[in-house]
Amino acid sequence: MSKPTELYLPLPKLFLGAVVTVLACLPCVGSAKVKAAGLFIPPKIERLFDTYCFSCHDEEIQKKDVRLDRLDTLALDTRLNLLNKMQEQLFFKEMPPKKKKQPSEAQRAFLVEWVSSELKQHNASKLEEKLKRPEFGNYADHDKLFSGEYAHLKGFTRDRHWLVSEFIFNAKINRLIDHPSIRTIDGVKMDVIGDNGVNVSKRFGGHNLRQSITNPFLLPSSIGVRYYDTTALSAGHLLMMISNAKKIATYMSSEKAMKAHYPAMHRIMKMELAHREILASRERFLNAYIENVAQDIYKERNEALLPEFVRIEVNEVRVPLDSKGNPRAKEDNMELLRTRYDRQDIEAIYRGIQKYKQEDVSYEEVIEKCERDWFNSGVHEKRLLGRIMLMKIMGARWDMSLIYEDVGKQNMALPPYRSLSESEMQVINASIQEHRKKGDRYKYIIEKCMNDWDVSFMADRIAAGQAGEKQIDDLVDELFAKIHEREPTEQEAKENIALTKTYMKTLGNQEAIAKLIETLILSSELVYRSEFGQGPTDEDGRRMMSSRDASYALANALIDSSPDKELVVAVKEGKLSTREDYRREVIRMLKRRDQYYVIDESVQKTGFNSSITNLPIRKLRFFREFFGYTKTMTLFKDDARFGAGRYDDSKGRLVDEADMLVAHILAKDRNVFEELLTTEKFYVYHSGDNEAMKAASDRLRKIYDYFKAHDWENFTEDELYEHWDFINKMKMMGTVFPNFLKDDRRRSNWIRSFKTQMSSLVIRFEKGQKAAAPYDSTGMAYWNKGNASTRTGQQMRGPEVTTFFGIDYRNWDYPTHQPAKMSNRKGMLTHPAWLIAHSLNLETDPVRRGKWIREKLLAGTIPDVPITVDAVIPEDHHKTLRQRLEKRTGDVYCWKCHQKMDPLGLPFEIYDDFGRFRTVESIEHPENLIKEADRQASPQNGINVAQYKTLPVEASSLIKGTGDEKIDGEVRDALELAERLAKSPRVRQSIIRHAFRYFMGRNEVLSDSKTLIDAEKSYLDNAGSFDAVIVSLLTSDSFIFRKSDNN
Amino acid sequence: MTTRRNFLQSSVLGSGALALSPSFNHLLGAVKPDPHPHRFIFIRKSNGNIPSQFSLPTFSEEQKKKDKDKEAFEADLDKHELPQWMRELDGHKENMTILNGISMEMSDGGHYSFSGCLGAYKAGRNTISGIKRTTVDFELAKLFPSPFDHVELSLASGSGTVAFRTGIVSGFSAPAMHQRNFCYADPQTAYEELFKSVTNTSAVDSDNVLLSYLHEQEGRRLKGLDGKERTKISNHVDSIQSIRQRNEKVASLTETISKNLPKIDKIHANGGPNASLPEKQDAFTDVMLAALISGLTNVVTYTMDDLGTPITTLPGNKGQVDLHRLGHSRDYELRDIVKASHVAQIAKIVTKLKSVPEGSGTMFDNTTIIYFPETGAGHHGPNTEAPMMIMTGKKSKLDIAGRFIRLPFHATEGHKTLGNWYTTLLNACGNPIEHYGDLDLAMSRKKMPQTGPIARFLA
Repeated sequence: MSKPTELYLPLPKLFLGAVVTVLACLPCVGSAKVKAAGLFIPPKIERLFDTYCFSCHDEEIQKKDVRLDRLDTLALDTRLNLLNKMQEQLFFKEMPPKKKKQPSEAQRAFLVEWVSSELKQHNASKLEEKLKRPEFGNYADHDKLFSGEYAHLKGFTRDRHWLVSEFIFNAKINRLIDHPSIRTIDGVKMDVIGDNGVNVSKRFGGHNLRQSITNPFLLPSSIGVRYYDTTALSAGHLLMMISNAKKIATYMSSEKAMKAHYPAMHRIMKMELAHREILASRERFLNAYIENVAQDIYKERNEALLPEFVRIEVNEVRVPLDSKGNPRAKEDNMELLRTRYDRQDIEAIYRGIQKYKQEDVSYEEVIEKCERDWFNSGVHEKRLLGRIMLMKIMGARWDMSLIYEDVGKQNMALPPYRSLSESEMQVINASIQEHRKKGDRYKYIIEKCMNDWDVSFMADRIAAGQAGEKQIDDLVDELFAKIHEREPTEQEAKENIALTKTYMKTLGNQEAIAKLIETLILSSELVYRSEFGQGPTDEDGRRMMSSRDASYALANALIDSSPDKELVVAVKEGKLSTREDYRREVIRMLKRRDQYYVIDESVQKTGFNSSITNLPIRKLRFFREFFGYTKTMTLFKDDARFGAGRYDDSKGRLVDEADMLVAHILAKDRNVFEELLTTEKFYVYHSGDNEAMKAASDRLRKIYDYFKAHDWENFTEDELYEHWDFINKMKMMGTVFPNFLKDDRRRSNWIRSFKTQMSSLVIRFEKGQKAAAPYDSTGMAYWNKGNASTRTGQQMRGPEVTTFFGIDYRNWDYPTHQPAKMSNRKGMLTHPAWLIAHSLNLETDPVRRGKWIREKLLAGTIPDVPITVDAVIPEDHHKTLRQRLEKRTGDVYCWKCHQKMDPLGLPFEIYDDFGRFRTVESIEHPENLIKEADRQASPQNGINVAQYKTLPVEASSLIKGTGDEKIDGEVRDALELAERLAKSPRVRQSIIRHAFRYFMGRNEVLSDSKTLIDAEKSYLDNAGSFDAVIVSLLTSDSFIFRKSDNN
Repeated sequence: MTTRRNFLQSSVLGSGALALSPSFNHLLGAVKPDPHPHRFIFIRKSNGNIPSQFSLPTFSEEQKKKDKDKEAFEADLDKHELPQWMRELDGHKENMTILNGISMEMSDGGHYSFSGCLGAYKAGRNTISGIKRTTVDFELAKLFPSPFDHVELSLASGSGTVAFRTGIVSGFSAPAMHQRNFCYADPQTAYEELFKSVTNTSAVDSDNVLLSYLHEQEGRRLKGLDGKERTKISNHVDSIQSIRQRNEKVASLTETISKNLPKIDKIHANGGPNASLPEKQDAFTDVMLAALISGLTNVVTYTMDDLGTPITTLPGNKGQVDLHRLGHSRDYELRDIVKASHVAQIAKIVTKLKSVPEGSGTMFDNTTIIYFPETGAGHHGPNTEAPMMIMTGKKSKLDIAGRFIRLPFHATEGHKTLGNWYTTLLNACGNPIEHYGDLDLAMSRKKMPQTGPIARFLA
């Protein structure tokens, strides 16, 4: 029997030894297409079956259609399936049922050993792989892990390929396509990590190419640690990567990219690029000045060589009328004109107007002259028609004086004609003379010349021969460095040179290079992290990772990106080969604050939130995944039940502020777990910049104070305009503007928006509130700077977020310095983002909330919902959700599992499914409706929802079996429960177990016992520092040492 | 009978040894395509569909009143005239359904619903995490596999900017949760990509060299690996081999593709900067038809326009108004002109497919075209209604042809949602899903039943 090394089992030592020998040696799960073989059942097993199994699974009774007395007669596949089920049931102690007679630990171990050995014979055991999945993490016995009994076991992680995560993939892609991941943070433009490029608008970092790359490595959407080393590349991944590789290769082999980044590539392409440059220069020149060139060549004969000009037929454009039949006011938004139509056409039109419009030339004449020019130059008939039509529309509907002014201001005219060098002009003139025929438009002449030159250049390149061996060798080196961040081996270099030559035989050089790039991108190396032991083996068969692998392991553990400069230097200088080296680098990276990261682009995009942090991103992401509050982003709610405007507009802000709170606690790094579970201070409608928020709030105060001295409610437009200087100074957008008195069209709207703003301020200040939430109740366009700004310079949106906290603006002294105390809240489990994430569309979800606490904070296990159970709470519109739930789960069969969840989730019934504190529950059913909601809800007016009959909320609960007697017992509500949880060592250890999984990418086993104990000790010794936990984990044996599958 | 359980079992078996893959694996299951599969063409449009524009001009007074009051009723199309903008389909009334009363509140997204209108969920601001499930077109593509499985074409600008896109760009369908499809944004690109095996053999050859090289390289990595680590790499090797086999399959269709290769005008070269909207529409239709007739795909999703699609070259758009402005105006005439340009393409598709023999009938017998709005009944909703037009062939599994159907209004008894409609399509084609898509929250609040197919539509 080999000594136990990786142990998963929550069973006694005797049992462990017996089973692990079998399990640990089992190779991967495989298909059991082996011919049926006989089965020998030892007499002792027969006796155990007889004692514990046959009463429910024999000839007479077959519960769940399972019969165990004829195992030897079953076809092999059927038998192996059944044995796998038996192995699981025995292992998870689900059989025999609790109410039946139980085997001793030794007997159970014996049974499992026999079943496992039978499965092993056919390479068919599924249990081992199953236990590696995240949802089975807690099956390693908690008490044993922390008892110290197993601390002598040497920790290690298996040699592994670990598929990149969605975040690492994003970073790789950004690097390959030189994606400018830039954000303006606190007024400074800077490179960030974590941009996934989904934004459409370039204003917010959007990028067409980046957006078109599909990420095949997205993590599951489940709550909890999700990124494990168990996933294998599949055909789905490859199919998406084939499409991605083509796009990336096209970019990397583009002229722009090779000139900027790839000198070896550029050398191969040098001659071709020089030719292209000449061609492009000639084309540009001729497109702009062919008329001048032709005039020089042909003098007075030029006109006769042009085609006969025939004007295009265009319908007249009428001046639009308003509803009373009067001509509508002329359009005056020049920016709109320039952006609404095709840029190429607008430029041509502006250029034409600039060229021909004189005092004595009418606009109609300008149109005709432009048309003649475009006709001669060969503008496509349809485009020509469009341009003339557009010019006529401009004449009829736009204020032409403004257009003439704008034409001068934009100055799109071409520079004056100047010929190219003498030699170039000789070539051009000769070619035009050779190709021009009578009646040719200029464009056609240019096409013929270009084609001629292109063919001639290509012949030159063929004569010069293919790229040389050395050039291709350099190219391969260059691409390996960029794509795989290393040098190729000798063999790789040789093979890739040969491959490139093959590509070059059938494709042009540039396409061949692109193909080589595609090939390298599709290699499994790009998407698998490699973590293999290297060098000498220690006495326990373990080896440390190579320095290079270690640098990636550390970088990916902390920043989801390639190693930073310091790590690269450490590898080069051989300073990443000891535990102390690891410690030095981990501490350095944890302390670094000059690098910002995008936390979540979907949060950024929902309401222009900043969603950035300068903490090493994976520190924050661990808690995001652990708490799972981000699920709020994908959970939809009914606006009518939200009752404060559009729910979707507020959820991005809510999650952003939950992130800010976690980041705030992590930045302080003291008693982190306790703070996360019990803090009473929250961010509510706040950017994280206290000074900016105070300034923005003070501005509102000034506006309110200024106008409250006036009879603003009865202001006329003229009276309002008397205050223009103040309004202008305060940047009260959407109120009045310099032309206010002259403009007839907007007066009523603008005075109305002023009054709307003031009415809102009255609500926020009239009861003597010291400060108000700095939002503008009108004009939510992004350019409106009336609101406070986010740290990324966008208008701060989502003031509805206050309603989750039950805030009434009439009585709220807005805290400009946050996080600030909020009533009836204690820790992240009472944050509305967590409560919503663990709710349903229309109801709370005590079961899910309780399950989360049991699994994430108490390291407990809950079996899957049996397939026979219809897990739906029955409707009854005379009862609270709790009453209905208890009726459903109260019977013995359901309660077996629900007792582990419901008592932990029910204390959160003091919050509704939007996370709003409550003392009564609305029984939402049409028959209970008292009053419909007012649909005109707005944040400052509080929540406005339909009124239903209510019943009192009952949130007390009796908690049992948590593994910590200080948690067990009667609990009043979630606030009390949070306090108890925060004080529990078991909770602390459970969080550390999850952190272990997050940073190691696998479940913990008994040989990781010392790693876990050390991590907890570090936390306690360092005043509750989570950084200390990370340092401990990333310098542990479990992280540093690797062992091969064969060892 | 197909039950949910045996359907799931057969789906898993269909993807064989590669069952672990996240999204696209069903593509590789297309080794034995059905000789006469059902085909679906989803045509998305922007700006919503105004319900009154889908009313029949020859309605009786009673029908007019019901239609106006949004009460449920039906009418035979052969007894009525079609609205002017639909007239090009006059000859195909027996295949036509005008369906009103379906709501799409669960995909509400303001100006755009992105993938939401095909997945019956809110796609938010088109973020990856907002893609909640496989869209219905991809679900149907799984049921009728083909070498390209699903083809997406688009004339959308994909952003607020008024401009045509070109090349291969991000699409609106979703092959899986959190996965965004790509689409062809101009006819020439679609032509070059779909018919590459005929039109660009050197590109195909180099692809084959690449895959062969990759197969060998990755195969070599297996040396010395055991257990799970071996599986990780061997999966990749098997995947490469599967793709090589798929390419061989496409290569075997070369003769058919050559026979049906469309002619693309040179105006579409380089993305077609001078091509007008009708020219782009025409060319896309030609490419789509050739792909369907050649058997390269059985499911096409075609975004005819979004709010950034330039429509200034559309005959009749005298004011050179863009679609966003049109959405905010009451210019119903121009709305009709836009829709008529779409109908012209639908008529072309129907006519062509009816001319191609298949089995004892024509290709159109096995075809369903769904012309629908991405934003319900207006520029940015309301989404309580989403009038659509459906064309179905003789062998359709839906019993709806030849009728104007108005279903009960949103959140009233008997109302049907987009989820019910998509469930109907899936159930009719062999996917026994109980309900596809998100639930309508107003219906849930009112405790109204809302899951399952529209039973009366199932033939």
